[in-house]
Amino acid sequence: MDKTNKILFKSSTKNLHLLRKFIEDKARTFGFDESSVNQIILSVDEACTNIIKHAHMYNDKEIIEVELNTNENQFIIKLNYKGKAFDPNNISNPDMKEYFNKFKIGGLGVPIMKKFMNKIEFLHLNPDKNSLTLIKNL
Amino acid sequence: MEEFSIKTKQKDNISILGLEGYLDAHTSVELEKCFEKIISEKKFKIIVNFEKLSYISSAGLGVFMAFIETARNNAGDIKLCAMSDKIYNIFDMLGFPILFEIYKEEDAAIEKFN
Repeated sequence: MDKTNKILFKSSTKNLHLLRKFIEDKARTFGFDESSVNQIILSVDEACTNIIKHAHMYNDKEIIEVELNTNENQFIIKLNYKGKAFDPNNISNPDMKEYFNKFKIGGLGVPIMKKFMNKIEFLHLNPDKNSLTLIKNL
Repeated sequence: MEEFSIKTKQKDNISILGLEGYLDAHTSVELEKCFEKIISEKKFKIIVNFEKLSYISSAGLGVFMAFIETARNNAGDIKLCAMSDKIYNIFDMLGFPILFEIYKEEDAAIEKFN
C-alpha cells in the first residue's frame, strides 16, 4: 500500500538537522541499509540547501514542503517550494580535475544527489510552485 | 539542535582542529571562521581531525577548498585525518584525495609536516 507523509520546514539552514532526522527515521523504517540511509539524508540535505540558498536567498519566511511517498520498492521525496526554478538535471557534473586545479568552491550538491539517488525529477509549475523529486529504489 | 564544535590545539607550529558533530550548510560557517582566524595568525600548517565528526555535506567540503590554496602558497597545507568510512566515502566519491592528503591517524599527518 502506498503511504504519504508531509511536513513543512521554514527555509533556513538552521533546520537542516530536523529535516535530516525526519528523512532518516522514515528511510530506516522503510528498510534501507545504513549506507543507503546516509545517501538519502545527504541528497535531501543538498537539495534543501540549494533551495534555501538559490531559490529563497536565505529568507527564512519561505517554506519548504517535504512530501514523502513510498510504494513497494521506492522511496520518493518531493520538495515543494516557491521561488526561482532550478532543475538539477540541467547541470552537468563538474570536471573534478579542473575543479581541484582551479581550487573551485561549491557546485557539488547536484553531483552528490545524482550519484546517490536513482532518479531526480523537476517540475516548474508556475512562479509560485516548483517541485523537486528525489527517488531512491530499495 | 544537533551540535557542532571545534577543538583547536597547537603542536609546535601545527594547528590541529578536532571536529565534532554535524558539519552542514549551517555549522560550516563556524569552521570557516575558525580557518579565517588561524590563517590571519599566519599559521598555515593545519591538520583537521575527523574522528568525532558524524556527518558532512558539501558545504563542509567547500570550507577546505576555500583555504587549501592559501595554506599551500605559504609553505603550509591542510591535511585531513581519522575519518570514518562514512565520511571518507564522500571525500573519495568526489575525488578529494587527488588534492588533499588524508591519513588514518593524526600522528601520521603530524609526521608528514615534520
